Amino acid sequence: MLKDKFSHESIRDYEDGECIFREGDSSFEMYVVHSGNVLVSKAGLALGELSRGEFLGEMSLLESLPRSATAIAKGKTRLLCIQPGGFLLKIRRDPTFAFELLQSLSARIRLTNERLLGSVKAGPVDEQSLQKILDKGAA
Amino acid sequence: MITRADSPRMVVISDLHLGNPFSSVRRRTVSFIHWAAANGYDICVNGDGFDVAQVSLGRFTHDVPEVLQALRGAIDKGSAVYYVVGNHDIVFEHFLIDWGGFKLAPFLNVRCGNLRVRVEHGHLYDPFFVLSPRLYDFCTWLGGLALALHPSLYRSWIRFERLRSRFTRKRGMSGIEGEPLSFFESAGRIEARGFDAVVFGHTHHTGWAELPLGGRYINPGSWMLSPHFVKIEDDKTELVNFAREDKVG
Repeated sequence: MLKDKFSHESIRDYEDGECIFREGDSSFEMYVVHSGNVLVSKAGLALGELSRGEFLGEMSLLESLPRSATAIAKGKTRLLCIQPGGFLLKIRRDPTFAFELLQSLSARIRLTNERLLGSVKAGPVDEQSLQKILDKGAA
Repeated sequence: MITRADSPRMVVISDLHLGNPFSSVRRRTVSFIHWAAANGYDICVNGDGFDVAQVSLGRFTHDVPEVLQALRGAIDKGSAVYYVVGNHDIVFEHFLIDWGGFKLAPFLNVRCGNLRVRVEHGHLYDPFFVLSPRLYDFCTWLGGLALALHPSLYRSWIRFERLRSRFTRKRGMSGIEGEPLSFFESAGRIEARGFDAVVFGHTHHTGWAELPLGGRYINPGSWMLSPHFVKIEDDKTELVNFAREDKVG
């Protein structure tokens, strides 16, 4: 029913360890975790684990930029995939989706600011640790 | 703004419309709140608990203080009380915040063990409310006048909606009898974002239906018509008639 009715969004199933997208890829869909978990990493460094209801890939959709990190399924994972062309339709039909996406982006900015402030207070910040904080904020 | 609630036990009621000339649910609501608090449930009023859009000031001042006191008592006993804003109480929002005690939310994502439940009033999925808001407001006002003339007109309208849906709905379509299909479809879209159940109010039609990915769509309806509530507990959701639960408990 979902496939027939909503042409711009679809359900995708992934096996454990299957790659959803890789850093540098030029795909622009975004995903919401329906079940299972997703590991996000950048240059081999684990940035975080996403669980049910969490968003991934929205930066590429919103800014049309290549993927900034790699996402891999952990265990059997089911994702809702939203195509760029269907994004506004999704917001119109499911307004709390937009609310939750904004909440998620706002939380990331707040966390990044807190981490940056913590690092600056702890002493001089080198370029590498600054990059690490920014990467975590983007995951 | 709060949109998340972790609760091991929660009950959800909807559409009490306290203050509406048609609403006579004060005693039953107070009794329910006492029962929920005594049994350690968190309480969620899923929109239109208070009715400002079709208010009768006399009815409002008679009914609301006792219900607010009962809710205060539940909070004092340790129950969390959530209030999801509906379309008949939007202007009441500031009073509810100032009154204190309530956790006010535009919608709630409830986590109960491994279960994720969306609780939302649902007026955003009403095609009439979204497409013609001015006409909807006018009809709400007109409906208020009709209720003042004779409250039973509303029961007739609900029966008409159920009857209409039997004839207009295509065979094999899911959803709750009497509701436009848009509510069931919207619940399906929300389910796909990682929810096991979706609870709406607004339509006043009690029922449940299975969603495309195996979750449940539930509507406890309005207490003005029947005292149903949704129980979220032990990794499952249930639609319960309070009159029976009351006797059992």
